[in-house]
Amino acid sequence: MSAVSDSSEELFGYIAEFGSAAELYHAAEHVRDSGFKKWDVHTPFPVHGIDHAMGLGKSWLSAVVLCGGVTGFALALILQFGTQVLLYPTVVQGKPTNLYTVPAFFPVLFELTILFSGFATLFGLLIFMQLPRWNHPLFNSEFFKKCTDDGFLLVIESRDPRFKREQTKEFLTEIGAGHIEEVYS
Amino acid sequence: MAGLKNADDYSSGERLKGGGLLSIVSLLVGGGAILIFFVLALVFPQEQDGVARTDGMAYSWLFAIVFFLSLGVGGTFWTLLHHASNSGWGTLVRRLMENLGFTIPIVLVLSAPLIIPQVGFRDALWEWFPKREAAIEYAEKKVDGKLLPKYRKQVDDEAAEAQSKVAKVEKEKAAIANITPGHARHFDDKIKALKKKADAKAEKAAKSDEELREILVGKEFKHKEALLYAKKGYLNPNFWYVRYFFYFIVLAGGIFILRTASVKQDKVGGSKIFRDLRGFSCAILLPFAVAWTFLVFDWLMGLDYAWFSTMWGVYLFAGAALNSMGFLILVLSALRKFGYLTSVITKEHYHIMGKLMHAFVIFWAYIAFSQFFLIWYANITEETKFFLTRNTGDWNFYTIGFLVIGHFFVPFLVLLVRAHKTCVPIVCSVAGWNLLMHVADIYWIVIPERAVTLTGGAVVRIPGMWVYDVLAFVGVGGVFIFWLVRSIQSVSLYPCRDPRLDESLNLVN
Repeated sequence: MSAVSDSSEELFGYIAEFGSAAELYHAAEHVRDSGFKKWDVHTPFPVHGIDHAMGLGKSWLSAVVLCGGVTGFALALILQFGTQVLLYPTVVQGKPTNLYTVPAFFPVLFELTILFSGFATLFGLLIFMQLPRWNHPLFNSEFFKKCTDDGFLLVIESRDPRFKREQTKEFLTEIGAGHIEEVYS
Repeated sequence: MAGLKNADDYSSGERLKGGGLLSIVSLLVGGGAILIFFVLALVFPQEQDGVARTDGMAYSWLFAIVFFLSLGVGGTFWTLLHHASNSGWGTLVRRLMENLGFTIPIVLVLSAPLIIPQVGFRDALWEWFPKREAAIEYAEKKVDGKLLPKYRKQVDDEAAEAQSKVAKVEKEKAAIANITPGHARHFDDKIKALKKKADAKAEKAAKSDEELREILVGKEFKHKEALLYAKKGYLNPNFWYVRYFFYFIVLAGGIFILRTASVKQDKVGGSKIFRDLRGFSCAILLPFAVAWTFLVFDWLMGLDYAWFSTMWGVYLFAGAALNSMGFLILVLSALRKFGYLTSVITKEHYHIMGKLMHAFVIFWAYIAFSQFFLIWYANITEETKFFLTRNTGDWNFYTIGFLVIGHFFVPFLVLLVRAHKTCVPIVCSVAGWNLLMHVADIYWIVIPERAVTLTGGAVVRIPGMWVYDVLAFVGVGGVFIFWLVRSIQSVSLYPCRDPRLDESLNLVN
């Protein structure tokens, strides 16, 4: 990244600041309604309902977690029934080696389901968020740091098909943005 | 975010105007059922299926009382938790929790037949009441009078004999002149082994009479009687009545104070009562948990005094919390159907209540399975009998069908989907289903003991007795509904001047 810092002419997008969480919320509704896709908001604290205002649907993460959980459950089932019942029936504590021994397998069934769900959550989340990564163009902006303090920021990226240098800036002013900054990658 | 609701617009509260007919009908039905129940039990006692009908009906009554008490206890728990955790989401439903908890006093009053010995229920339910005196008398007469002195002499003799053996070998060693090292070592090893034995015997001889009696009781008694003798300090009628009084004070008194103060806040407003209730809830949570745990020890675990489970209290608590939440969802939806609370309760509230219900489905299953698993795996006679009774004959299908599949897998899988938790018809269906499974759970706890206790283990089910189970359920349930509707009618439907009303009105999760 640092090696190419001089080629700073490519516009990454606009950072627009809004006065309060409520203003940002309404601005997000406007951006959503004008059909932008590649944009995000950054706030110092979670804002209730912002996902709705941004038009975000339900995350697919839960499906990934379900797959992870089912995989863990199936793996535990195969490992335990396969080894202890089918391949090499093992009598422990006078317990049967058939379907009725399933309570003995429950702890592992439970734990592997949880473990694989946890892994699926973590790695699914990292993939969806495209993490880990070395840097992000937004960090080139000093102004962006305000979002960890008192800034309610809205970022529209230039790779959005509806992004046009002049009109988008005007649009942001129209919906009530205070300071607007250009970020270069 | 558009159109935030302002709590000031809702400070006059909302009141239930209808429901009069429901309360009168349920009182008449419930009162009638109770009347028939006790006429049958007390005026016409007779044999049925080989056991005294009154004895069998005792279990019906306990089943109905415990079921409805658990709903009230769950309502109180949610109220306490709401205050103690300083929650804001459920301020709008907190009054319903308080009203549900307020059914505890009436159900405990209805439990009076269980504690009055003249009714005959007490001795039929808890075997230790009639058997206790005989067990103690037997122990004291036989053990203290004859066996203990004999045993004391035996222990002393054994100790003396072991000591004399040591002395004898030492004397033999001393008698040999010019002993070789190998020979000496042989004697030393022998003396060492004998000394160890003598020390153990001496230790036993040094035991007090009390300690010796414990050993003797274990040896001489039939197993169950020995257990009853060992538990005589706790299973003691006077202490039992003191405990009952304690449960009444803590459970009924706690919710009475919570509800009264909360209702007062509707009039005076401000935050003082709100803060006081938070402190009060934190203080009462522990006694509340102790009271419920020991109540179910005394009433349910005590059905078989030889059996025990350390997870019993939390198992019953999990069921109570889960199903009172389901019951709250049903009451809330019924009120909304008749046009109450429609402007304040949103899908967000249903979502949270659905999530809590889902969490407690898992918690209940976790506790229920752990209890089963530990007992099944350890395979100790005193512990397995509970599950052996419930795995025998028809009860096996009942256990797997209702408790494993019905109480866990069905609600777990249905509530797993997020959309289902915000869909009112689905949440209500699951809540109703869970309540049915809770009935099955309490039935499964109480009723199998009836056949085992009353017939001495000859059968595990008495076929004709279910009629009285239904009768008792309808009777207690009718009075429960009457009391609940009257409580709801008498106050605002939500705490209209609570400081956190704003938060609950604009709930997003």
